[in-house]
Amino acid sequence: MRITLDGEAIEAQEGDTVAAALLRARITTFTRSIKYHRPRGPFCLAGTCGQCLMRVDGVPSLPSCQVRAQEGMICERQNAPLGLIDADLFRATDFLFPEGLDHHHLMVGSRVLGRVALEVARRLAGLGQLPAKARAAAPAELRSVALVVIGAGPAGLAAARAAAEAGEKVLLVEREARPGGAALLGIDAESPGSDWVTQQARAFTAAGGELLLEADCVGLYANEPEPPAHALVAVRKGGRLIVVAAGRVVVASGGASQPLPFPGVDRPGVYAARGLLALQAHCNLRVGTELLVLGDGKELVDCARALRRAGYQLGRVVALGGERPAAPDLDVLVAQPVRALGNPVRALELAVGPATQRLRCDALAIALSLAPLHGLASSAGATARWAPALHGFPLEIDADGRTAVPWLFAAGRVAGLGGAAAERSGEAAGQAACR
Amino acid sequence: MPLTDKAIVCACEDVSVHDVEAAIAQGFGDIESLKRYTGLGTGPCQGKSCEAGAMRICQQRQAVPLEAQVPFRARPPGAPTALAAYAGIPFGAGPQASGLRPQGGLKPSWGKGTHPLLPKTALPEMADVVIIGGGIMGLALAWNLAAQGSQKILVLERGYLCEGASGRNGGGVRAQWTTPTLIELAKESIDFMGRFAQELGINVWLRKGGYLFLAHDAETVRRIEYGAALQKRHGLPTRVISPVEAQEIVPQLDLSRFVAASWNPDDGVVFPWPFLWGYADGARKRGVQVETFTRVTGLEVGDGRIRSVQTDRGRVAADRVVIASGAWSPTVAKLAGVALPNVPFRHEIVSSEPLKPFLGPLVSMLGSGLYFSQSMRGEIVGGMGDPQEVPGLNQTSSLRFLSRYARALTEIMPQVGDVKLLRQWAGCYDNTPDYSPVLGETPGVAGLLQMNGFVGHGFMMAPAVGRRMAAWMGGAQDEIFERFNLRRFAEGKLIQEESFIIG
Repeated sequence: MRITLDGEAIEAQEGDTVAAALLRARITTFTRSIKYHRPRGPFCLAGTCGQCLMRVDGVPSLPSCQVRAQEGMICERQNAPLGLIDADLFRATDFLFPEGLDHHHLMVGSRVLGRVALEVARRLAGLGQLPAKARAAAPAELRSVALVVIGAGPAGLAAARAAAEAGEKVLLVEREARPGGAALLGIDAESPGSDWVTQQARAFTAAGGELLLEADCVGLYANEPEPPAHALVAVRKGGRLIVVAAGRVVVASGGASQPLPFPGVDRPGVYAARGLLALQAHCNLRVGTELLVLGDGKELVDCARALRRAGYQLGRVVALGGERPAAPDLDVLVAQPVRALGNPVRALELAVGPATQRLRCDALAIALSLAPLHGLASSAGATARWAPALHGFPLEIDADGRTAVPWLFAAGRVAGLGGAAAERSGEAAGQAACR
Repeated sequence: MPLTDKAIVCACEDVSVHDVEAAIAQGFGDIESLKRYTGLGTGPCQGKSCEAGAMRICQQRQAVPLEAQVPFRARPPGAPTALAAYAGIPFGAGPQASGLRPQGGLKPSWGKGTHPLLPKTALPEMADVVIIGGGIMGLALAWNLAAQGSQKILVLERGYLCEGASGRNGGGVRAQWTTPTLIELAKESIDFMGRFAQELGINVWLRKGGYLFLAHDAETVRRIEYGAALQKRHGLPTRVISPVEAQEIVPQLDLSRFVAASWNPDDGVVFPWPFLWGYADGARKRGVQVETFTRVTGLEVGDGRIRSVQTDRGRVAADRVVIASGAWSPTVAKLAGVALPNVPFRHEIVSSEPLKPFLGPLVSMLGSGLYFSQSMRGEIVGGMGDPQEVPGLNQTSSLRFLSRYARALTEIMPQVGDVKLLRQWAGCYDNTPDYSPVLGETPGVAGLLQMNGFVGHGFMMAPAVGRRMAAWMGGAQDEIFERFNLRRFAEGKLIQEESFIIG
């Protein structure tokens, strides 16, 4: 199958996303960043980060890691004036403002210069061009169910299965093309794996549950104060919305891979460790041969091992902070990142105690604990609070998965519970949501 | 060219660790202010990859106490979603999908009780003027008032700067009004906005792309012709133009949807937030005390005069107290036993993904109340009033609004069907029975001054209203403080002027 990128043909394989096809062709610069025109490539490979946005078939800023490649698809890189993605003159802004551009106080001294700044800023602003074609309203589908479960990872599957088996009418909504989420990445030996996923999904449908795949929940709104339709759930599937009036909702939206803010972390060639695992699991693709992994805690050790099992040749595994993880099978170095170098990344400079060390690589994976994707639930009124150990804002729930909103439950990573605890919390929330 | 060593926190908006640290150092350490000041979390990923990173920096710098370490308010959609998809929701049918009920406003994210960022310091025991409300009205007044001399002025804001309607509006500024008073107030204000950066040291990005009002029927055409004639007498270049001429200004418009348009190329859009930061900073430099996260809990009246303001940080005696609290003004006035006729109404707005510049003016459809413009950041920002909206201090977002807005917008401009929406929010209009403001003394409570009731367009009038109110408080004569006085409602002398309020 062939797609084109800025007019050049690219060979894609069956099942590839656009991002996978480009990475396969060793293309790592997917866009120019909005302000400094820095080259950017995919990071999370899971549709949460916004670093791989691309114009596809005339539609601006689509996440290329979520768009399935199709024969003849026309892909264009954005924010590169004159189409010069590799020789973008506006890169100058990066140099003119090496510390950062303070747009609030730029040229405030002079009205004339202020007007010039306004005209320049206006022309540089924005990312994508207007869509090429008009598109009419896509008729939505209206539905009504007792319980919606958002996310078919370990927690969501367990919740949906438990509720369906208790006799509830359940709609399980999953963003990816398959159920399982993190369980399919083989990261954690203690957590359920793909066999468990198959068995749960089967039990769920056998109990009368409905699984909706490639369906992204984009809105969760309080609706009627009286039952049965407490919530309106907006689900996007194939360019249309399905609006579901639901009595109760279990949010099991998981977490998002996080970059670590150090110089160069935004360069092409820096990926989320879980993103690389998903790329290998779903598109059978590795991005390099010499991989450095940087992160901390259990996530670092689990991801490094999983990446090695996935076929990567690991260089040093760089652990942040003071504590050295107990992993004799890994070549662990305790250090702090100073900067990443190269485009795509070719080396990582580290502070090892008082010394500086430079390690070569052809890709860098970041393995930090996932930040809970609390947005849907917290926009509907659930409480999320900072948990330093998790590097994120998990939702506050009780033992039954209840949030501060009576009709809203949460389970799994979004509530700060990963691994085996995710499954247990899902089961509890699923049962509680049918009581 | 090698890349510079920026440590990027928010890749969508190119916000660096340095930017975040600079914002914290300037007092924007609470997450909502940090988001607004740096722009982090406002790009296509909506904070999924930067919110935690930013909070790590805040935590390391001890920018806020533990209780205030909450995420910024999450705004639907959860992922960028096309207008065409929202336009396909058949709203208006049946109660099952109403999504319309007021929910009493969003609960604060820190739970019940006082704000975790409530300052520990005591307030002064007395002030000459206390201004209740740190929105653009109150801050513009404080800055102007402080220029007069050595009065002790205190501004009280219950949240962060930008928490109320001044931080929630669409940024449209126009002189195309249909009453002489509003035209003059807006003209002066827009003129001031053009020199705001020089006067107050911060950019507000006034972009004069014009305002294009579309009229869909003969009655509306009559109204815009009346307005254009009046505006011409006040020196504005407003013209009534044909659909074809309008299409030269905005090529994507569907000509079949309107019959004429009112066009003033000198109107424009601004970036609202820096007005508050700029006025607050300027006022502080002139000696004003601006206190955020401080709640007013009582107003003491004695012998027909205002005596003091009670807050959750103690009592402040004052001879003059100004109610500039927007939609919360009736709630505040009630603390002094004063009934305002103002009624709060939710108004919803949504912002799209950032697009390269294509849309010059703010476009408004007069029949439906739809309006939209392109911000300096490239987003299409717009809103639309809802005839079924019920009164209340409701700042929740609804799916119904997205559907109505998307349908109206894709009808008038079908080419945006595939443009994705990023972020919706709501604020409150401060409506009055005659759609005119409440200004000046309060009958029966000497020293209690009103500066509210601006029906959703106070932002664009504030620079002029603030200047005139300060001058009037300093002793100058000004008829607007008589004509728009609260007593007109009791006397049945409502303002009989036609004006179009959009949205």
